[in-house]
Amino acid sequence: MRKSRFPAIYLAVITALTFVPIVVTIIYSFNASKITSVWGGFSLSWYKELFRDRDLFRALKNSLILGFAACLISAVIGTLGAVGVKRTGWKINDFISYISRLPIMIPEIILGMVYLAVFSFMGFKFGMLTLIIAHTSFCIPYIFMMVSDRLIGMDPQIEEAARDLGANARQVFFDITLPSITPAILSGLLLSFAMSFDDVVISVFVTGSTVNTLPIKIYTRMKTGVTPEINALAAIMIAVTMIILFLNRLYQRKHD
Amino acid sequence: MMGSDGRNRNTAGGSLSAGSGSGRAKKNKRKRSSVWILMMPLYAFTIVFVLFPLLYMGFLSFMSRAEVWGFVNEFTLGNYKRILEPLYLNTFKDSLKLAFISTIVNIFIGYPYGYFMARLDEKWKRIMMLLLMIPFWTSGLIRLNGWIIVFRSNGILDKLLMGLHLTDAPLKLLYTYPMVVFGMIYALMPFMILAVYSSAEKMDWTLVEASRDLGAGAAETFFRVTLPLTMPGLLSGVILTFIPSMGLFFVADLLGGNKIVLIGNIIQQQLTKGRNLPFAAALSVVLMVLTSLLIALYRRIAGTRQLEGLI
Amino acid sequence: MKKYKSILAVLLSMILPLAMFAGCGSSGGQSGSEEAAEGETEGADQYKGQSLNIYTWDGMFPQDVLDDFQSRYGVTINYSNFDYDEDMLAKLEETKGGEYDVVIADDYILELVNNEGLSMELDKSKIPNWSNLDSRFLGLFYDPEDKYDAPYGAGIPLIVYDPAATDVKIEGFADLWDPSLKDNVALIGNYRVIDGFTLQTLGGTLNSEEVDLIEKAGEKLIELAPNIRAINDTNTQDLLISGEVAAAFLYTSQVTETIKARPDFVQVYPKEGLGFGTMCMFIPSQAPNADLAHEFINYILDSEISAKCFEYMGYYSTTKTAEEFISEEMKPLLILPEDAPGGTAIENISQEANDAHEKIWAAFQNACGQS
Repeated sequence: MRKSRFPAIYLAVITALTFVPIVVTIIYSFNASKITSVWGGFSLSWYKELFRDRDLFRALKNSLILGFAACLISAVIGTLGAVGVKRTGWKINDFISYISRLPIMIPEIILGMVYLAVFSFMGFKFGMLTLIIAHTSFCIPYIFMMVSDRLIGMDPQIEEAARDLGANARQVFFDITLPSITPAILSGLLLSFAMSFDDVVISVFVTGSTVNTLPIKIYTRMKTGVTPEINALAAIMIAVTMIILFLNRLYQRKHD
Repeated sequence: MMGSDGRNRNTAGGSLSAGSGSGRAKKNKRKRSSVWILMMPLYAFTIVFVLFPLLYMGFLSFMSRAEVWGFVNEFTLGNYKRILEPLYLNTFKDSLKLAFISTIVNIFIGYPYGYFMARLDEKWKRIMMLLLMIPFWTSGLIRLNGWIIVFRSNGILDKLLMGLHLTDAPLKLLYTYPMVVFGMIYALMPFMILAVYSSAEKMDWTLVEASRDLGAGAAETFFRVTLPLTMPGLLSGVILTFIPSMGLFFVADLLGGNKIVLIGNIIQQQLTKGRNLPFAAALSVVLMVLTSLLIALYRRIAGTRQLEGLI
Repeated sequence: MKKYKSILAVLLSMILPLAMFAGCGSSGGQSGSEEAAEGETEGADQYKGQSLNIYTWDGMFPQDVLDDFQSRYGVTINYSNFDYDEDMLAKLEETKGGEYDVVIADDYILELVNNEGLSMELDKSKIPNWSNLDSRFLGLFYDPEDKYDAPYGAGIPLIVYDPAATDVKIEGFADLWDPSLKDNVALIGNYRVIDGFTLQTLGGTLNSEEVDLIEKAGEKLIELAPNIRAINDTNTQDLLISGEVAAAFLYTSQVTETIKARPDFVQVYPKEGLGFGTMCMFIPSQAPNADLAHEFINYILDSEISAKCFEYMGYYSTTKTAEEFISEEMKPLLILPEDAPGGTAIENISQEANDAHEKIWAAFQNACGQS
């Protein structure tokens, strides 16, 4: 069968399109003018400004901690939950998995408001803990769905065979189940990290007096005016990600 | 499939679900009795941090609004009655319409992407997945702002087209309905792609080949083999894109110039300027019920009964 | 597992910038310390090690002002943000006025905050700079006896237009209905302001409460719909500067931004009268560090510091004595002329009236989408 080149072209074009706004953002981070609609010449001043802005970096740090914590916790809860739900097949599982998915089905702002009320009812102090709980609630569904989806198509006979050959539950899970659902966990993780790293609406309500997250910072700053500084930050983050990726490829090539 | 399920149910559920298929219980008396423990974190978290807050929201939707903020403990159906006003009904209708349009376009763009991605070799799969996600780790607002720079009058696109003499005046694309649809698709595309990808990736490609070998055409193979096999992924993609597009008011604000009111906007407005927590709660309850019904309906039409864990 | 190493690497890479910036952050703090020397004498040590939790929008203070305050008093400032005034109200209600030391918000919400007992009566003896304030911004509806709130910047939404892009000479809000402005007008998204001005064109006021009149204003607004290109609360000025629209109704900071970028654009004080809003600093009733909060308010009300802040924010100065420190080119933008047309503050209205506003506003938005 002759291999068509259409898929490769299609993937390349769509992927390139998703990068358009990123590239524009990077270009405009070098814009001397404060106003995005005017090109005022090349300048590095926003980067200088950026490095002076400690608040922004504190916020970035918080967001990374939050993103990692929420993703990790939801990966554990979501994956184990999906496996357990599949294996036990209780009637009530349907109900619980439906409920667990609701946080991504209702508008963020109402979720934020409800969490604000519920957390203060429960006596939690607003801050990182409440942020992590709230973010975990909307990260679980992504992981849970991805993993369940993967499990449905899995051949149950493999697990059974392993058991018949004397493997215990833990061995079956770690040696058979986990490796085959890893791609699903990872796509769930990537999605949920992106969601956590971008959430403003819920975070605004559940954060405390000492914790600001990056999206809150960006959002409220965009309200008060355009900030090429934020573009500069985005540019740096993309650049760092790309560089690490590239170095990693080089490293792998060497070792292969 | 049934075999393993039945067996697990017995050993795992213990006495709880001993009723079904108990005949096999003794045969497999191994240390697998604790599978249900795996679900306990999910159960605990869901009940405490999702179910309880949502019940609280349901409770709120029957309360009366307070003068300044919060609610008064007086039962009322007024919040639900108010939703029946044409203004709010129309907003629901418009939100559904926009969600339908953007989901359908998203299927046509995202499905092939996920499908093609699944056919790549391991190395390229990894690369594509990262390339797909990297833009989405940048704030959504920054990305929308990037699109605004591209699409606005005399912006990058206009300059490009005019430079090539394809157009001679600014297109004025921004703040139009298609622009909002575009924004929705852009914001939600990775959900569709990843969902389709994860189910296409585990698909048994030999079935496709077998179908071709047996003389089926490309189209026939696609509709009779590939599509049914990737249906679970497509369905979760639809859910992951359809539901958020009713509430993504950011996009309608920034790319649509606030000229399209989504149900998310109304809820937002009620909670902020309106300070009407109970009414916002009632709107959310209706939205939740509506989306659940739609999903159930879709599930029935698609006839995908194997999706037990999903919906 | 190895094949997913790269994904892990990317996730880790997100942390890397942190390490880079953790270092530079601490060095940045030094910049303000020279200025601080003069203030050192006033027994600043009493606050050493405390922290001040500020809660407001982003971009309300220049970084060096905050830095200077921190090094002068040896304190840490936690600057956290909300999105809407109502988010702040909700948070204060839920934490019973605790957690935060200084909050800055809009006037209409302050009235509610004060009525709910969520703010603390200011001890003026700790704020000697109170006398620097412009009396035009004192004694307003939200705090008639000036007990709780210290004004910090005022906004007056104005029309700005590009005379080269339209033949209409815009003098008032009513001129925006001119058919030649079809699809050429941008508005801010504050419905009390937009509806209010429409009410004024019908002989009402910004605070009219008669539902009939509000509904009439709604009908009139629908006629404006064909002219509206976008309703946008953020970066509205960009639409005007980039030529997307010929005229826009903007917030003060946006007006400042526009005129700075395009001095040839015309700034119009609508002849129907002005609406203005004041932002204020207040101390929540259960503020953990109320003394330090007083110190901060006093510090900000200092003439020179105020001038710096207003230049940074782009709002009208509410500190009378700050005016002489504002640079010449910024003066016309930041100092409200004594002879400016009379303004009305936008006050809280009855729920019925507010519901009517919400309705006509949603109908207006929809009409804009249809046309």
